[in-house]
Amino acid sequence: MQAAASTNGRRSLVAFYWLLVVFLYAPILLLMIFSFNDSRDVAFPFRGFTLRWYHAFLTNPNLLAALRRSAIVATASSAIAVALGVLASFVLVRRRFVAKSAVSGLLLSPLVIPYLVFGIALLILFRAVDTFLTNTMGIYIGLGMHAIVIGHVVVSLPYAILTIVPRLELIDIALEEAGRDLGANARQTFRRITLPLLTPAVVSALLIAFTLSFDEYAIASFVAGDAATYPIYLYSQLRIRAGLPQMIAISVLVLVGSMVLVVATEVGRRRAERQLAVEETEGLLG
Amino acid sequence: MSTGQATASSNGREARRRHLRTWPGTVGLLSPPLLWLILFFLIPIVIVAAYSVGALSLFPTTQGVSFFDWKHFLSGDSIYIGLFWKSVRMSLTVSVIVVLLAYPVGYFLALVSGKRKYVLLLLIIVPFLTSYLLRVLAWKVILGSEGIINTAVVTLGLRDADHPVQWLIYSQFTVILVLAYVWVPFVALPIFVTLENLDRSILEAAGDLGASRWRTFWRVTFPMSLPGVGAAFVFVFIPTIGEFVTPSLVGGTSGFMYGNAISDLFTQGLDWQTGSVLSLFLVVVVLVLMAIFGRFVQVRSAGAG
Amino acid sequence: MTSDIDPILASRLDRRDFLRYAAILGGAGVLAACKKAVETTPPAGGSASASPRPSVDQEPGILKVFDWDGYGNDTYGDHVLWKAYAKKYPDQKPKFILFKDDDFGYAQVANGARYDVVHPCAYRWPDWINLDVLQPWDTSLISNFGDLNPAFVEGGKVNGRQYFVPLDWGFAAPMYRADKVQPIEDSWGLLWDERYKGRISWWDSLNMFIVAGYFNGVANPWDMTDQELQAQKEFLISKIPLVRALWPVDPTPDVLNGDIWITYAWPVHWWAAKDYGSGKGLDVVYMNPKEGRTSWNCGMALFKDTPNYYHAHDYVDAWASAASALWLVTNDAYGHTNTTLDLSKVPQELVDAFSLDDPTALEEPHSHVERPIRRRDVYNQLWGEVKAAG
Repeated sequence: MQAAASTNGRRSLVAFYWLLVVFLYAPILLLMIFSFNDSRDVAFPFRGFTLRWYHAFLTNPNLLAALRRSAIVATASSAIAVALGVLASFVLVRRRFVAKSAVSGLLLSPLVIPYLVFGIALLILFRAVDTFLTNTMGIYIGLGMHAIVIGHVVVSLPYAILTIVPRLELIDIALEEAGRDLGANARQTFRRITLPLLTPAVVSALLIAFTLSFDEYAIASFVAGDAATYPIYLYSQLRIRAGLPQMIAISVLVLVGSMVLVVATEVGRRRAERQLAVEETEGLLG
Repeated sequence: MSTGQATASSNGREARRRHLRTWPGTVGLLSPPLLWLILFFLIPIVIVAAYSVGALSLFPTTQGVSFFDWKHFLSGDSIYIGLFWKSVRMSLTVSVIVVLLAYPVGYFLALVSGKRKYVLLLLIIVPFLTSYLLRVLAWKVILGSEGIINTAVVTLGLRDADHPVQWLIYSQFTVILVLAYVWVPFVALPIFVTLENLDRSILEAAGDLGASRWRTFWRVTFPMSLPGVGAAFVFVFIPTIGEFVTPSLVGGTSGFMYGNAISDLFTQGLDWQTGSVLSLFLVVVVLVLMAIFGRFVQVRSAGAG
Repeated sequence: MTSDIDPILASRLDRRDFLRYAAILGGAGVLAACKKAVETTPPAGGSASASPRPSVDQEPGILKVFDWDGYGNDTYGDHVLWKAYAKKYPDQKPKFILFKDDDFGYAQVANGARYDVVHPCAYRWPDWINLDVLQPWDTSLISNFGDLNPAFVEGGKVNGRQYFVPLDWGFAAPMYRADKVQPIEDSWGLLWDERYKGRISWWDSLNMFIVAGYFNGVANPWDMTDQELQAQKEFLISKIPLVRALWPVDPTPDVLNGDIWITYAWPVHWWAAKDYGSGKGLDVVYMNPKEGRTSWNCGMALFKDTPNYYHAHDYVDAWASAASALWLVTNDAYGHTNTTLDLSKVPQELVDAFSLDDPTALEEPHSHVERPIRRRDVYNQLWGEVKAAG
């Protein structure tokens, strides 16, 4: 540790770190304060304490519907993305095959597509599919939640892989082999040994994919059709006068909720990982 | 779990071979994720390409395939190429600022902070997981003509109420500031991971050989952390060059970016052909960037485990 | 069936019975004229007239309304506009699908999206007709139809059939804060007054080309030649550095929080800024520029394949009522085509600001009624270039 910084250097780094934390959190805290401000203006001066914005959004059916849609989309897309991610990670870690680097490149490529371009590309895809189906079979699928889910799975998949692969690399292949030798078939080995060991990474991946999807605007804005999700609704309200304080109130709740969720999951994951590390060590020693 | 260990290690190689054979084929495992990406990621981009040359179009047209829009765009006559370079400048500025802010933090967390480093890291990352739009909105409240900063400036008598600091909101500055704010937490991670994986003994060896800390940093630590910095840089540059939400909320006319032009061509101008040219050009730029920086973005290096 | 007997029928019979009655009569041939007209529509999608229409009870009921952002979400209490409908169908609240920009809304329908009712504006009506997705209204089912201004109503006809029920209209003009801004003269030129650099907002729309056209004395800003368009483009590019922001949905927040003093505005923006909150109203002026305000009007159209035929008519009927008109005028400061609106219930300053009592207010040269732009794609393309130069 001494090699990395002198005492003064260390102090400066600590100060820099906390300054950055202030920079990151001050605007968020500010919004929290304004969610209790008794005025339709989100501006100073502060006009007194109120809870009415919190009451207001609870009775706003459009907002609640948007929240519900986001929850459904995020649940579906994170589940699919992580399931696909587990498969892909397993192959990437446990298998050798031709064109492996090309495949892994493709699997990770959504990481670097600007969401704007991808959203538009999906919009165009649905347009092309619908044109074809309408002309041939008279079917019209259109846009909507299914389209958002499809898009979010694509962009969440690389994150799922990046979260699961390192964990899978840590799991000793010998444990899986042991399971096989004890007569478990491939599926059983996977279900009884690999998957439990993977659980912390799977939970992390689900969480990342869920939060990514829940808050995603750019892709959703192009393919949502009439199924406005929470960020889309929020965006539309940001630009008109009346809805703002309500939006801030609900966002503060979502924000606090997601912070609690993230921290809780992270703590839980670390605990589980420590537990597993102990078991693994015991396993190897035993 | 502890019982099978001896057997496994005794004939591990044989077991592994069996293991590989009896699992459903690699193809079977790989096809769901690959198919998903081919159907919903690659094919859409191919369709965008078809739009860009007029092979497909929004409204029925008599016009056939034509590279006119591409030629126009690349010849430099198009106003959008100028806008592209403006956006590149803005994104580069954002990326540099973000790396400059995140590097000391990554360094501190990985090499200096000690036991609590994961808690401290989490503290930095959490804002990234909260509402993007709301974090942008917060800056409107801070930077507006009657926002927090201008209210303070006016109260202190530095300026009169009719002449607040104008460049704070609706300017390139605002877009750069807000984008930097939004991306810092995200970038701290890859930098942290690279520094965390450094072999400490090398640093200590440098110290033992009499190198000063600065010298050690510039000659050893920094060069070794460059892959993380590169990854961080690319991970900020790519989304910000395609950014359209933040400029539309806080950019005003001067903060208008390439992404806004693309978005408008699709939703307002209904000129999908030009919009597709602009989109695909962005994809090409990204591919070139990845060809250069691609080695930084591999499964292992960016792992957040 | 003339409109003056509709209220009588409606008052004697339960509303639902009345509709049933009308439907039966329609089937029996009393409305044969209308029927005939429907049957002579172009062949595409002609099945609607062949099979008997399900009665109102058999309709799915949840009406899908495709409307401008700002309506429908009830952000401004606009459920009043369809109060009568909500009363009649308390369990079937309409579903609103909103577009911020009517170009994109139009593109979505061109792409295949279908709803029950749409609310396009007159300058786009021919485009909507060309999409071949609409059917004409049966005006006998709209009890308030006879109260609507005949001049507007006539404009909503295509080939003699009522494809659009014109309901709302309004102006577009410069608005400014009187406490901060002293215009040299009443002119659209305020939108590029050098003295207020960085305090100006334009609408994010090709309509800025129309405004520039009138300002620069172009003969017909709605159908400019290439040369004229090029000149307006260069003019706007030279002026956009003065402009701080373009507003896509609502400039009011920026006006209220002091970022903007001068903006292209609709009446609702002036009214909102003036009356905002309790007591924090701003001293804003809605200008009557010497080049003339522009004006727009919009109306409801019915999708050809709607399963909610009768629901849709009732929805539009609710919008067309005098009560809705009063709400629209007093809350949004927009005009309404219902002529039975009692202006004495409307604040006098609204009547004055928008000449609600002057039937010639919408005529040339006082104002320029918005009309279809033949080369809309070119206007849009050039507007995109203006923004890219910003």
